[in-house]
Parts: sequence; structure tokens; C-alpha cells
Amino acid sequence: MKTLLRLSFLASFLLSLVPLAVPAHAQKTIELLNVSYDPTRELYQDYNAAFARYWKAKTGDDVVIKQSHGGSGKQARSVIDGLPADVVTLALAADVDALASVAKLIPADWQKRLPENSAPYTSTIVLLVRKGNPKGIKDWDDLIRPGVSVITPNPKTSGGARWNYLAAWGYALKKFNGDEAKAKEFIGALYRNVPVLDSGARGSTTTFVQRGIGDVLISWENEAFLALKESGGDQFAIVVPSLSILAEPTVAWVDKVVDRKGTKAVAKAYLEYLYSDEGQDIAGKNFYRPRSAQAAAKYAAQFPQIKLITIDDVFGGWTKAQKAHFADGGVFDQIYLPH
Amino acid sequence: MRNFTVISRAVVVVAVFSTNFIPALRADTNEDIQALRAQIQQLDQQLRILERKQEIKDEESAAAAKAAPKIAITDKSFTFASGDGADSVRIGGLVQLDSRLFFNDGGGVLNNTFVLRRARPIVDGTFDKIYSFQFVSEFGGTSTPSILDANFGVGLSDALQFKFGKFKTPVGLEWLQSDSWTFFDERSLVTDLMGNRDLGIQASGKFDGGVVTYAAGIFNGVPDSTNSSNADFDNDKDVIGRLYLQPFKNDQASVLQGLAFGVGSSLGREKGALAVTSGYKTDGQQTFFKYRSTVVGDGQVWRVSPQAEYRNGPFGAIAEYVVSTVNVRPAAGKPKARLENKAWELSAGYVLTGENSSYTGVVPNHSFNWQNGTWGAWEVAVRYADLKIDPKAFPTFADPTINADEARSTGLGLNWYLSKTVKTTFDVYDTRFSNLVPVSATQILRQDEKAFITRFQISF
Repeated sequence: MKTLLRLSFLASFLLSLVPLAVPAHAQKTIELLNVSYDPTRELYQDYNAAFARYWKAKTGDDVVIKQSHGGSGKQARSVIDGLPADVVTLALAADVDALASVAKLIPADWQKRLPENSAPYTSTIVLLVRKGNPKGIKDWDDLIRPGVSVITPNPKTSGGARWNYLAAWGYALKKFNGDEAKAKEFIGALYRNVPVLDSGARGSTTTFVQRGIGDVLISWENEAFLALKESGGDQFAIVVPSLSILAEPTVAWVDKVVDRKGTKAVAKAYLEYLYSDEGQDIAGKNFYRPRSAQAAAKYAAQFPQIKLITIDDVFGGWTKAQKAHFADGGVFDQIYLPH
Repeated sequence: MRNFTVISRAVVVVAVFSTNFIPALRADTNEDIQALRAQIQQLDQQLRILERKQEIKDEESAAAAKAAPKIAITDKSFTFASGDGADSVRIGGLVQLDSRLFFNDGGGVLNNTFVLRRARPIVDGTFDKIYSFQFVSEFGGTSTPSILDANFGVGLSDALQFKFGKFKTPVGLEWLQSDSWTFFDERSLVTDLMGNRDLGIQASGKFDGGVVTYAAGIFNGVPDSTNSSNADFDNDKDVIGRLYLQPFKNDQASVLQGLAFGVGSSLGREKGALAVTSGYKTDGQQTFFKYRSTVVGDGQVWRVSPQAEYRNGPFGAIAEYVVSTVNVRPAAGKPKARLENKAWELSAGYVLTGENSSYTGVVPNHSFNWQNGTWGAWEVAVRYADLKIDPKAFPTFADPTINADEARSTGLGLNWYLSKTVKTTFDVYDTRFSNLVPVSATQILRQDEKAFITRFQISF
């Protein structure tokens, strides 16, 4: 009896330790959270599937990418406040910069870690009007006419909205030969025609396309193409303004999060793969302007030729633009009065 | 003629009017229609804008509510959690008031009493979904207030979780069950031979949804029926583990779904006066055995406890056996002996009102409510337990005139679950003692223990 008891003791204890000795899984399932801006839902739905296939083939591990979408500024705020994003794919560098300057989640020189200043694709800003263009909108000037209802999101929360604003400002500056006071008047008149400010670009698309509000939507080019595609192509029309801005959405892995979770390798690979042939092709398919010459050539026909200004040339970079126009008490706060 | 003139004039007037005024009227009407159409479109836009603004406001409110911290006050607990649920704090408590009534004890022993058996504030919670903590202090009982549980955990996955601090050692089935939800208000004699709470590090986990659960850890080591005093009394440590299987857990149709069995065990070395138990107690919490005060532990200690459980609808049963071995000396420097004390128990319960019997407590289908005429859940329970002291303990290590060498306890219980948190129990115990020699007249062991214990409990 004593021997039996001792044997059972030994057996039970050894069995108890078995799970500690055996690895839980030979193949891992890795989970990433990509915190992105509003209109990238479709892009990353396609891209995540492609990357998961690529990673599985390369390493044998499964990778599951969860998405979070919203206004770019709002999303950056969420990450700063603790949303555990492995990667951010935001609308503009200023929002990613905030992760470095405010919360020290990434190094200050994050843009140097990936090609093209960490902007794997670009886009621009166009005008989307209703079928037949009933208000005869041809350029930015038409947006300040009385009786024209303009839909654009809130630059305080949306990266796309800031690109919209700066594109219009750039046009006004050119029109008034660099007279900032007149540009400010122009922008003020434009925003007086905005009846609703959504928090993100997708919200504004909903306002214009689904809710039938407004005469013109200032929109990401990719978002405008998507609206055309989803409406069957005959409900809306894209008006290409005489001047727009080169929009460079940027991406970064969030060092503090990936170091803690042990996901740095896969997070880095996830962003690097955006520059691959497949990644660039997916960008083109989703109406983003690819960086690679091969994909750019393939999709060149779908993108109109637009004269583009850059944030650096006209505004001296995002830091200056952000401070002058969108910080508390900046130009936007001065010209916009909620209706 | 006159009529003709009147008619002619009227015709002329109408003709003139038609020629000159109808086009103008038509033009005016078209303009009006256009204006009205524009006005309607404008009103339509304004209405849509108002609706959209409200929609945005609702979305923002919903998003804010989702992100806002949550306070959940339910009929089971009070919980404060972050919007995403990753961080939470639960405030709980346990209060048990017992009425102990002993029969045929001759009146010489003053043991009929109300007892605040347990009074425990409980705080537990999680941080970042992965890290957990538990803090339980004890203000009830007859000893000074103490910290019962103070530990934190790291949950890497269901299969691997770590716990650090002071907590229940993973050996006994009945011991690991919550104090609130055992069949009887006091645990059986089997638990007398288990170590209680101890300081240590434990790995645990489950596989296949709980078909296999395990726990293994290193602890300071405590004697039978003893909680750690928050420090070790020697340099040696105990290794403790438990493996528990529920092979049919996922087979919904099987009558064996609620069958579980396993074995828990501990192995270590203990030394010194604090290495021996302070005593074994009856269901009425009266000590029926303890070693002489000079006895010291010195050497290997081990326990092994095969255990089984079965639940099927309102029926539940548990069975458990334990051998607890100590190496002791009657006094420092005296010859050593190895003593093996053994106990077993079989207990069962049946919920008369049809709710499921459960290791984590019966949840009444309808809580007690005087106005509505609902009565909660009622359960009957029966138990038999036996604890046998190693005969070698007498007389060198224990005084036979004041200790029993065996206790056999029969219990009958009636449990009334008034709600998820409130329970009342009515338990009758008959514990019979075996004595090697007649015990002293002042001892409770001079006759069997017949006790009626009623408990009023709130646990949340």
C-alpha cells in the first residue's frame, strides 16, 4: 500500500509538470493590431490576407491582424492613451510624430526606418460631386460660392480633413499670390459652407453618399474612386481641381508595444511587405498611388494628372503646418464657427 | 339683345384676360413652383443635416460609452472595469455567522455559541487582461485578523498561468472549493490532513476546455490544517502538484460528463516545533487530536490524495482520500518516528428544487421573495468521513488520555440558497471517537460529538 501510494504521488507530480515541459504550440499564432485611419478598411482587408499568406509560407506561423479605424488624429490619441497598436498606418506624419513627441512610443527618427519616408503609397485630394454636377463645381473657387454645401471632416480629428484644408489653402495662396490674409478669408468662406463636420473621412463619405447631404465632398482620391465604384459609377463624378496636394500616409511599428508583446519582427515585416510587389499592387487596386515604378505604371491610367503641391514646399513641413493651422488657437479655430 | 351684349363683353374681357394675363400667371406659377422646389430641397437638406448631426452625436456618445469605465453592480458582485475590460477590480466579501449547539455534552464544556466564523473583505482584479491579483483578509474566527490570500498572477494562456504569493495549496478537492459553496458548512475530516494556505510560486493551466487541469508549485511548506504565518520556519521547501481530469467534459450527451477525478500530492522536508500540526478538529471545530507540545518535526513530509467528483443535474458527490506522513521526534534529540495519518470522506448532495449541483455553488432559478412566493433553492446533503491517527503516535507523541485515535463523522445537511449570494445551512453532525484509554472527564472526547450548526452566509 505504501509503495502504491508513493508511486501514485510520484506519477501525479510528474504528470503535473508535463505541461510545463512541452511547448504549448510548435506553430505560433501571432496577433497584431493595426491602428489606421478611416478610409483604409478595404485596403488593409486585402493586404492583411496577403501578408498572412506570405508570413505563413515564410515562417509557418499564423498571423492574425486586427484593424482599428477612425479619424487619424483621434486614432493617434487612442494609441497615446494606451491602445496597444503593434503598427500604426495613419493619414499623415504629424499624427505618427505625436506618438514620438507626446508618448515616446517610437523614436523621433521613425520616418527613416522605412523607404520613402515611411510612406509606402500616396494619394491626393479631389472633389466628388453629384450626378450631372448640378452646382457646376469645377475648382476650389466654386466651393466658397453662397449656396454650395461642402462636405469635409473635422481637421481636429481627421488626417484626411487636414489634407483637404491644406490643399484648399495651397490653392488660395497661389490664387492670391501668397497673401495669407486672403487665403484665410477664402478658407473661412469655404468652411462657412460646411454644414456637418464628421470626425473622419469615411464619416464624411457616408454623409455625402449615403445621407445625400451636400453638393460636393472634398475627398481622398482613393475614397472618391471607391464611392464611384460602389455606386455603380453613375451617381457621382470626380472633379479634379486645378491644384491639389501630395498626401503621404505614413506607417510605423510602435516600439514600446511590440517590444512588450514580442511582436517586433512580424510587425516590421508587415510594414516592409507594403513595399513589396504584392503590397504595391494591392495599394494600386485600392486606388492608392503606388510608390514602385512597376505598380505605378500598371495603375497610371486610373489616376488623373493633377498639379500637386507638397507639405514641405508650401507649409514648411507638418510640424509647422500643424502648429499654425490645427493646434488650439490656430487658424482653423479662428475661422470655423460651428453652425 | 342685352344679354347678347353682356355675353359679348364677357367674351371680350375673357379673351383680353386670356391673351394678356394667363401667360404672366403661368410664368408666375412656374417661378413659384421653382421657388417652392428650391425651398423644399433646402428644407430637405436642413432636415438631413439635422438628422446626420444627431447620428454623429449618437455615434460619438456610443463610442464614448464604450470607452468609458464601467461599473457593474449585480446580484453577484460589484465590479469596476475599464471600457475594454482589460483592467478591472471586483469587490467582494464573505460573512458567515454560525450558531453552534452541542447535545449530550454534559454541560461541562462551554461550547454552545454564536460564532462569526468568517468575515472577509475580498478584492481581486486584473490589469491588462494578463495580470491578476487577489487580496483576502480574515476578520472572523477566533484568532487575530490576518491576511489569507495575497497574490498576483500572470496568465500567459489557458494552458499556462503563474501565481505568486499566498494562496491555497493545490492538493485537496474539498479544500480547493470555495468556503461558501461546500455541501456542509464545515469541511470534512479529510481537510484536517491538508496544508492550507502557503507562500509560493505555482504554474497551472487547463487543456481542451478543462478536460485536463494541472497545478504545480514550490511552497514554503505548512503542517496539516495550518495556514502559513507569512514566513518559513526552516530552509526546506515543499513541492506540491495536482492533476485533475474531466474526460467527458465536452460530451454533452454523456451521463459521465460530470465525472472528474485526479490526484493531489505534496512532498517536502520540515523541521522544528512549527512543523507539526496544531491539531485536528471535528465538524464542531473542537480539537480531538494534537501532538504533545514538545514534539518537533524533522524529516520528510508528504501527502497524497486521490479524489473524485460527479455532478449530474441536481445530484453531486465528491469522494476523497488522503494520507499525510510526517517525521517527528518527541523532543529535540530524541529518536525519530514516521507517522502516517489517514482520512477519507464521501459526501453527496441533491438539489430538491431542480437546479444544478455545482462545485461553485447552486444558483437558484428563483431567488427567495416573500411577496412573489418564490423560495430559492433547497439542497439536502449527506456525508461520512473518517480520520485515523497512526497508532505509533500514542503515547510518545500524543497523550492518549486527552486525544482520540480516530474520529468518524456522519453529517446530514439542509442548504437553503436564498439567492446567488445568500445561503443558510442547517447541519447535524454525529462524530464518534475512538480512544485507546478513557479520556479525562474534562475533555470533550469523553463522549461523542453531537452538534447542530446553523449558518447564515452572504458571499459575493
